Amino acid sequence: MLHFNNSTPLTLGVELELMILNRRDYNLTRGSDDLLLLIDRQPHGYDIKPEITQGMIEIGTAIHQGSDTMLQELQGIRTLLVSSAQKLNLGLAGGGSHPFQHWSEQQIYPKERYQLVSELYGYLAKQFTVYGQHIHIGCPDGDSAIRLSHYLARYIPHFIALSASSPFYQGMDTLFQTSRLTSVNAFPLSGCMPCVENWTQFNAYFQHMAGLGIVASMKDFYWDIRPKPEYGTVEIRICDTPLDIVTPTLLAAYAQMLAHRCLEDGWHDIQAAHYHTYNYNRFQACRFGFDGVLVDGAAGQQIGLQEDLLSTLNALQPQARALNCEKELSLLRERALKRQSDSQWLRAIYRASGSLSEVVRRQSEHWMYGSTA
Amino acid sequence: MSQLPWHSLSLNPLAAFGILLTLGVIGGQIANRAGRLPAITGYVLTGLIIGPASLHLLNQELLSAADLFVNLALGLALFESGRRVDLHWLRVERTLLLTTLCYCLAVFAALCALLLQGGLGWQASSMMAALGMATSPIVILEMLRETRAEGQVSERLTTATALSSVLSVIVFAIALSSAHLQNQHSTEDAILSPAWLILGSCLLGLLAGLLAIALNRWLGSQQRQRQTVLLFGLIALLVGLSVMLNVLPSLALLVFGLATRNLRGGHTVSEPGLLSSSHFFFVAFFVAAGAQLAPQALASHWPLALAYLLLRSAIPMLCWWLLAPQNCLSRQRGLWLGLALNPLSGGSAMLLGMSTLALGADASAFSGSMMAVFVISELAGPLLTHLALRRAGDIPSED
Repeated sequence: MLHFNNSTPLTLGVELELMILNRRDYNLTRGSDDLLLLIDRQPHGYDIKPEITQGMIEIGTAIHQGSDTMLQELQGIRTLLVSSAQKLNLGLAGGGSHPFQHWSEQQIYPKERYQLVSELYGYLAKQFTVYGQHIHIGCPDGDSAIRLSHYLARYIPHFIALSASSPFYQGMDTLFQTSRLTSVNAFPLSGCMPCVENWTQFNAYFQHMAGLGIVASMKDFYWDIRPKPEYGTVEIRICDTPLDIVTPTLLAAYAQMLAHRCLEDGWHDIQAAHYHTYNYNRFQACRFGFDGVLVDGAAGQQIGLQEDLLSTLNALQPQARALNCEKELSLLRERALKRQSDSQWLRAIYRASGSLSEVVRRQSEHWMYGSTA
Repeated sequence: MSQLPWHSLSLNPLAAFGILLTLGVIGGQIANRAGRLPAITGYVLTGLIIGPASLHLLNQELLSAADLFVNLALGLALFESGRRVDLHWLRVERTLLLTTLCYCLAVFAALCALLLQGGLGWQASSMMAALGMATSPIVILEMLRETRAEGQVSERLTTATALSSVLSVIVFAIALSSAHLQNQHSTEDAILSPAWLILGSCLLGLLAGLLAIALNRWLGSQQRQRQTVLLFGLIALLVGLSVMLNVLPSLALLVFGLATRNLRGGHTVSEPGLLSSSHFFFVAFFVAAGAQLAPQALASHWPLALAYLLLRSAIPMLCWWLLAPQNCLSRQRGLWLGLALNPLSGGSAMLLGMSTLALGADASAFSGSMMAVFVISELAGPLLTHLALRRAGDIPSED
């Protein structure tokens, strides 16, 4: 029986998976242990931990009421990471996937859970060397978490377009705005949560899956959005790790505004029909970003992703005021209007330099030393 | 019938190069499979077996003919080694620079004292000690490629290797000038020679770096293959020019690599890295190096050679062990890093010729002792580096 630890509604936290690079050709390097050892020589109180392969590291923020304090914490974490990485001649970067690493060269981190994942999923575990941002939103109870998970599914394409930063994969331009999700799709328990209506039904589903021996914990579900009962949150797992530390806070602010509307309005329109077009819309966002075309299955209509995003942002003005994140809303609107994405920036660097190594070098400089103004 | 070719069969240089490669690969594979030894040890042993000292399948003339490939291999390795020196990192991590300076100077002083004690003259001792400061870039790079080693020990190892090579050639040049002076060559020779050797080499390397960056830019971003060919060409040209201008090819190539790594626009000069396409030159290099070995030198020089190698192993280990925490390493990993620096520089052989010219009467004792040192080092060095990298945890486990 899963117990949902109720938390303060609309509180926020993010986790960011980052690349660890050598500064010679900017390929991934097995640097997580050395980096963690050096960081842990000093007391810091930040949540910094290893990930599934040794060219990855994950940072997590504490619980925040708003995105401005979250940005301050991220700046603190970045300062600590950068000073340690500099001593070790390592680069750190955001981005959903490394443009030219070869998956077979990655080493699974020596931790029991990762070894088990590697044993079960074989090469998929190494191919999972992709980098995402997870956003946690606090929920008052399990039922609200289920409602919010379904509500946010409608807006998943927006998060994909706003965070897309993985146009290159295994040395090739994929033509996608984000290629990262293809690696996630390969897992049998990826996709979206089943159409359960409340926490009791969710629990029954979980018990059933556990009874069949398919899952042992919530970690075994690789869903785009999932309740996280131990934290008392809903976790959005669809975003690429953005190239800077400001964008994660904007995405978190967007999730917070949507959650505010869902919980305040008492939304409860949970229907399987909403999921008929889920994968199609997700694909459109991954492939075309802001230029994608979304299908509203229930209304039988098509709408451009950019237009849909802009109209959603316009409608969130009251929530922005209530949550004191009007600046974030305005920045998001500006990006949507300009169709500004990290993927475009990366492609522009590649066009100018012809070098994926140069692309990653610029990515790394941007994450490590980029402005947060 | 007496005109048939096999009646007067003798190897030409191309066939000799083919033999170097073919037998080298077979030897490397046998070493890997049968003895779990690094392939480099197999290449060197192959050379030793087929060289003038044993089966005499390759004679000195044929080995000289293969010099083109050997020098190119050395050039590629030195260039790549120079590219591993990140001046930005050294500015942040000064301890690395200081540790390298510290152990190199300590090795130099200790070896000088040992060799003087062993009966060699001051000039021969200082030159031999200067050669002892340097770790072989080609062995280190090939070992890292073969084992896919990565981590802080490997990272610091490559930088220390390149820096030790730079220090070694500079000290060597100064020692050489002192030898000229002592052997009543003109004062002009004594002053101009090291200045020309050091400054000329640096200038040549720097110019090559600037040229590579400019040509790379001119070729355009989409011409990666042409850029690689261009780089091979420039490395060959630099080796040749260095010989023609009587400067130090090793220093020029190190500076070339260093310049392309650290000057604006140089980052993409070597992409993809040259190492993967240089492998067959490296195999030829190691087999040829093995073939050049003369184990008979051990008979008369082994005590001095052994003491020389023990000192040059122990001092870096001690220095890195002492300064490991300041270098973000555990003491144990510091110790392994010191051991990994063991292989003696392959570029030293190039400098031997210069030394013997300057040394006069001491030349024979100097060459004999250095040969004895090379025999042990070429065989043991790669093994020790392999062991050190494995124990340091930089070699990935087999999945």
